[in-house]
Formats: sequence, structure tokens, C-alpha cells
Amino acid sequence: MEKRARQRDPAAGRRAWAAQVNLGTAEGARLSYEGAHAFGVEMIHRWRLGNGLTVLVLIDGVAPVVAYHTWFNVGSRHERPGKTGLAHLFEHLMFGETENLAAGIFDRKLEESGAESNAATWVDWTYYHELLPADRVRLAVTLEAERMHRLVLRDAQIASEKEVVANERRYRVEDDVEGLANELLYKTAFEAHPYRWPTIGWMADIEAFTPEDCVKFYRTYYAPSNATVVVVGQVRERDLLLAIRDAYGIIPTQTVPAEDILPEPQQTVERRLEIRKPTASEKLLVAFKGPAFGDVDHAAMTVLSEVLFGGRASRLYRSLVVERELATDLRGWVSTFRDPGLFECWATARSTHSALEILPVFEDAFARVRADVVADEELARAKSRLELGSLQQLETASGKAEQIGFFEIVLGDPAHAFRRVESYRRTTASDLRRVARRYLVDTARTVLRVVPDASAAPAQAAQ
Amino acid sequence: MSVARLQTPEPLRFDLDGGAVALLEPSHDVPLVSVVIALRCGSATDSPEKAGLARIAVRMLRRGCEGLVSEEIDFRIDTLGAEMAVDTSPSTVGIHAQVIARNVEPFIELLGRMLRAPTFPDHELERLKRESIAEIVEARDNDRVVAQKAMQRTLFEGHPYGRNAGGTTRTIEAITPADVLDFYRRYVVQANLIIGIAGDVTPDRAPLLARQLIAGLAAGTAAVDHVPEPNMRPGRRLLLVDKPERTQTQILLGTLGTSGHDADHVSLVVANAVFGGTFTSRLMKEIRSKRGWSYGASSRASVDRRRQAWTLWTFPAAQDAAPCLALAIELLDTWVRAGVRPAEVNLVKRYLVRSHAFDVDTATKRLHQALDLELLDLPRDYFSGWIEHVRAVTPASASAAVASRIRTDDLLAVVVATASQVLDPLRSAVPGLAEASVVPFQLE
Repeated sequence: MEKRARQRDPAAGRRAWAAQVNLGTAEGARLSYEGAHAFGVEMIHRWRLGNGLTVLVLIDGVAPVVAYHTWFNVGSRHERPGKTGLAHLFEHLMFGETENLAAGIFDRKLEESGAESNAATWVDWTYYHELLPADRVRLAVTLEAERMHRLVLRDAQIASEKEVVANERRYRVEDDVEGLANELLYKTAFEAHPYRWPTIGWMADIEAFTPEDCVKFYRTYYAPSNATVVVVGQVRERDLLLAIRDAYGIIPTQTVPAEDILPEPQQTVERRLEIRKPTASEKLLVAFKGPAFGDVDHAAMTVLSEVLFGGRASRLYRSLVVERELATDLRGWVSTFRDPGLFECWATARSTHSALEILPVFEDAFARVRADVVADEELARAKSRLELGSLQQLETASGKAEQIGFFEIVLGDPAHAFRRVESYRRTTASDLRRVARRYLVDTARTVLRVVPDASAAPAQAAQ
Repeated sequence: MSVARLQTPEPLRFDLDGGAVALLEPSHDVPLVSVVIALRCGSATDSPEKAGLARIAVRMLRRGCEGLVSEEIDFRIDTLGAEMAVDTSPSTVGIHAQVIARNVEPFIELLGRMLRAPTFPDHELERLKRESIAEIVEARDNDRVVAQKAMQRTLFEGHPYGRNAGGTTRTIEAITPADVLDFYRRYVVQANLIIGIAGDVTPDRAPLLARQLIAGLAAGTAAVDHVPEPNMRPGRRLLLVDKPERTQTQILLGTLGTSGHDADHVSLVVANAVFGGTFTSRLMKEIRSKRGWSYGASSRASVDRRRQAWTLWTFPAAQDAAPCLALAIELLDTWVRAGVRPAEVNLVKRYLVRSHAFDVDTATKRLHQALDLELLDLPRDYFSGWIEHVRAVTPASASAAVASRIRTDDLLAVVVATASQVLDPLRSAVPGLAEASVVPFQLE
């Protein structure tokens, strides 16, 4: 008689194991298996603790390392005027003292284990990441659980960290022409939506934060039900989950307030702004209102941006940098935000030319993609570049964890990186013309010009 | 922790025709292939009058080749799902490329053609020179880059390491078609090339691809390294790069460190990690954590064939620049005079040993280590014996390395700031200052 191979059902096995380990466990520490997501040829397994913490695990045996990411569903969109930059300041404070760890010990413990750690905050999210030797994953579990509910916020540390953030703002914005221009672009393009203020916050707001602001923010948003832990690497899933259950299961469930965000009204008139700064050359930013990241149009807009701005063979690079020699640097980017953002078009003029010479070339290129379909070979070129970029994100455990966390927090789909590439592949020349007509609308654009400030000439060389 | 688990096989090394070498690191984790075509010489071979030539000459390879003009090359690279860039340092210049694995064969054919049969059109050279000059001008917007360039040209004044790999507007203008052709004929030859291939390619196919890349090139001879050991100018100097409207300053302190061959090199690396190489280092604690003066504060010991720079970097607000500079020098003096403590050394040794896993967790990273070994002429066990080298460092050897290598009496401070705001306080912040000068930020 032919023996039939016994089929293993990974989901059933995981559910049975969860039921077994949940016996006698407190409600908040109960593990539930919620299914798997195909991630290329690998699988992401989704788990949830009783207190609401989501855990996504991808076993990846490529190298003896593990990436441990904690994504919080809080960013600058959750702030309000007068309190801008709080999500980012809080990211800094999360590396401070906890009930069980004196100031500085959090980083030192990670360094002793050879770990690299950092964090990032943007409009829709905040995330903390560690990269550790695989046998040190428990340390990340312990430390992240500790700071999720036992952070100690002291006045002196908050005051010092406000200074650090003010200096970060000087570095990234005040003394950086590009950073400043980008901040002004969003401030001008948005009137109602929180995307109008910068994630790092206005300087006056940074300086004015009180310890009470910080405590309130922590208690509101740093809750297990508002967080997703992503683990990618050479780990034993069951050992990992038991460690997570023991470390996080004691954190109480908490209700996070519903978002209270006004949608951005339709823009019907072009907005223009000109600033003077001590810069070597003029800069031009043109931004159209773009689709939300989850919008079906986003992939087509991304391909269109690649046709226009992506690489030396793109239309505008050929025209502005190579043929007319009006610009040195060009970039196009469709914002990857949860709500509708911008399609940003950036050019740095050569020092002998003006942004006003570049603008008509932009306009001509936009008019062409609204009027005509792009050639097949241009479409293929753009898709190949996007596929390369997508694959490059998956070279390391950290890269995979970032992709999983980002797509989970913005779209609720941790494996969307692969569906994204499929979306690019399906995009047609007609799609590009359709989205060009929908989004490249002159009345819905914002134009910002940066002009060198001739009066701010530096001192002559002197001994 | 088991060290054996962290050790990985070294890339395969093959001898190719004419003295070329291939380094191969197959891996099927991601369907990508990395390709590096590296020359055994870099910007240090440029003459002072033609600084930037090595970089320009290699960039010219994609500006036209047999049967293809520049635009067609660019279009073909993109369509194959590839990207390529030119990377230049004092000791090497090369093409670093990556391609989607299914297109590796036509991409290698294209790269081989660019290497074997470039056309070097005069109009493309003139265009590239204009592009390069525009890039130099644009870089003046980045205060950190302005500070780094000023440090390099002043610390290594008169030495090949002092030449910027990208050149200056004056030296780029001086490059002629004959210079480019001469560089190509002399240096883009089999004996002067190292080919690196990593990623999703089979071990039997990779050597064939490497051979295909260099087929048809002249055998030639490998470049001879005539770069002398650099010397540090005596005394403490302050160079202020004046830029208007700065709310913040960029501060670099620099002196000479070690070369990869020096017996105390790893000891200095360990001691540097204590001082400014980690988030809990002395610099970060004192400047950022305690005082909030700067978003970052770090130090590094660079590696090359000769003694390279040891540098400290921080960027306080203009009003904090003088006390921050004074504190940085005080910390530096203490580090050199009193050395490092056993507990500090033990901590960073654990960090350096355990974090080694991240230096070798992709095929491309392993390939780059093997390339550095060849191109920077590092000791054969520099990377493979890294863990043992670090473990062998003692508090005494680390302190000795700092004391003998870091000369705080011979120190260069470069500050990018608005001179009218900070010059006088900065002069006072440097004890024993021998010389102070101010230059405009558009100098280079």
C-alpha cells in the first residue's frame, strides 16, 4: 500500500501550542496565532498577546543575527499645534532611565552584546530597532518590554534631551537648505492636515515642552495595543514567543484614543513661495497633491515619477542635467504616507542658472505625460529600476524587518513589499497617463524657489 | 557566544589573465549580483594640478563605448535592473554595480564592453567636467562636507592624501582628453584590476563572468604605490571656514592615527571605541547626554595604506561652540594622558567582537572586506583574525597606542561657522593655540 505523506498544518500546530502554553496564563499574556503571510518564499507568522501586542515573526537563517523592531502607531500626525515635535522628542526620551535600568544602562547593555540600535519617527509612525547576534534576542525582548511601560521621565533628562533635539533641528533644518525648503513646502502645501508641520517640530514648541506633556504622551500612545513587534532572523520561534509573553504579558491593556484628524481640503489655487538663503545655487521644489500610500494610484504615480526623475536615463535628467545643463541634481518622490501626501519634484540649478529656467522644462514634461502615453521601453526601464530598489531592501535581516514593520503599520499588510512589485509590473502606459491627468494639476501645486542670498557674503580670507 | 558561528568562509580568490585577480562570494539569499571593478590605484595617483583625474577617467567609461553612446549605456543599465557608481579613495578607484540576477549575463557583457572599448568622446568629457564642477559648487551647501574637505586638505597639506578625490574647480578644468586616455592606458589594464562578484551566481559561473569582464584589455602592469608616509605639522592650529547665517557649527579635530599594518592599529581602534566610537562613549556622554550640546559626538580612526587621519566630529549650536571645543580638547588630552580604564576596554571589546556578525552578514559585505584586504594592502588576517586581534588588546596596549599615536600638541581644529559670531571665543577655547586662520567656505 502506498504510504501517504503526512501533511503538517503549521497553523494548526501553532494554535495547539498556543492553547497549551496559555493554560493558567493571565488574560493579557495569552498568545493567539492569527495566521501566516507569504513573504516571497518565506513566511511571516502573526501572533497577538491578550493585551493587544502584535508580534510578526520571520525565521530567516541567512546569518546568525536577529533584527528586533518595535513599531508604534504614533507619529507627528497625532500631535496638535503648539505641541509639534512631541512624538520625535519622545523617541529620544525612550533611550533614558527606566524603573529597573539607570540612565545609560539601556544602551550599554545593548553595546555589551554587540547590538546596534536606533529609532526613527515620521508622520505616521515611530519605530525602535535593534540588530543583535542571534543568541542575544532575549535582551532586546527584555529591554523593549521594560521601556514600553517602565520609563522614568525626570525633568533634568527632558531638559537635556530638548537641547539635543534643538541641535538636531539646527543640523537638519535651520542650517540645511534642503531641510528648510522641504519643511516650508509641506507648511505651504497643507492647510488643515497635520502633515503641514514637521516631524521634528517647530523650535518654539520643542523649547516649550513640559514634563507633563511627555508623561501624558507616554501614557496615551506607548501601549501594547498600539505596537507591533517585528522579529526577523535566526531564532527559535517558540522560545522567542515565550520570552515575549513573559516580558510583555504583564503590561496592562490600554485604550488608545481615536484619531481626530481633519482631511486636507482640495487645493484649487497654485501656491508660490520664494526664500533667500546663503546657498551656492537656486533650488526649485514643485509639489502636487498625491495619492495616499494605500491608494490604487500610488504604484502608478511611483512608476511615473521614475519615468520622469529616476536615474540618468529619465526624461528630466536627460533634459535638465545632460542636454540643457540647467541643473545638477533632480529628484521625484511620491510620499509614502497613510493619508494623501505630495508628489515632490526637486531640482538644484547650476550656479549660473535660475530655477525659473527649470520650471518651464518641468511643466513641459508634465504636459507631455498628461497628453501622451510613455513608450514601452521607458515603462520597462522604470519598472526594472523599481524592482531593483525593492530587492535591495531585502538584503539584510534589518531591511526585511523594516519592510515588514512599515507595510504593517501603514497598510496593515506586512508582506506588501512583494505585492508592491507586482503592482509595478501590472502598471500600464495608460495608467501613467491617467494618474498624470489626475494628480499633475497646476491649480493643486505648490512651487517653492530658493534663491542665493547675495548680501550674506562671507568674510575675506584672513590670517 | 560561539565565535566559530560568526566566522564565515572568505571569498574565493582566482588569478585571471594578465595578473588580474577575481574575488567571488556566491550567495543565493536575494536574486541580486554585486559587481566591483577596482583599480589598484586611486586619487593619490593624481598630480596636484589634475586632482580628480582618476575619478573623471573612470566616470568616462560610461560616457560612450563601442556601438553605444552615453545615453544608450544609461538606458541599458536601467533596463537591465542595474545601477552603477564610481567610488574613489586615495588608494583605489572603481565601479561598484548591482544587477537583478536574471540579467547578470548581458550586464557583464555591457560592463566588459565599457572597459574594453571606451570611446571617450571629447564633448562628453567637457560635459562631465562641467557636471563635476557643478557638483563641487553644490557640495558647499553641506557644512559637514565643507568641514571634511577643509580637514583633509589642511591636515595632509602637500601630501597625496590631501587631494580631494573629486578635485577642485581649477584642477577639473585642467584635465584634457589626453590625460583621460593616458590614465586609461596606464591603469585600466589587467594587471591593475581586481574583479569582485558577489551574490546570486553559481561558483562555476562566477569565474567565467570575471574573465569575460577583463577579456581584451591590455595586460599592462600594476600601479606602483609611491605615496610617502604623511607627517603632521607641529603645533595646535585653528582653521575657521566662514559661512554666513550659521546657527550651528561643525567642529572637526584631527591628527594622524595609524595604518592597517601598524602593530598598535587594533589597540588604537579599541581605545577609539572607548573615546568616541559608540553611543555610550566618553564623547557622547559628556557632550550629548550630560550637556545636550550636540546631536552627535564621535571619533574615528581611518584606515589606508599609510597612516591615515584620526578625527573627532561634533556640531554644537553657535553659542555653545567655544565651550564645546574646549571640552572636546580637554577630553582628548585626558584620553591621551591617562589612557583607558579596564572596564571601558572590556565593554568595547565585547561590542566589537559581538557586532562583527553584522560586518559579514551579506555576500556583498564579505566581498568588500576581501577587496579592502587587497586594495589597502592590509595584513592577510586583518578581517579573518579580527575577533582574535580585538580580544588580544589589553587596557595597557590600548592606552599605549593612544599615547604614542595621538599627538594632542600637534592638532588641527577645523570649524565651519559664521566667523563674526565665534572666532574670538574659539581662539580662547584652544589652549596653546599656535595659529588661527579664516577662509571662505567657497574656497574649494
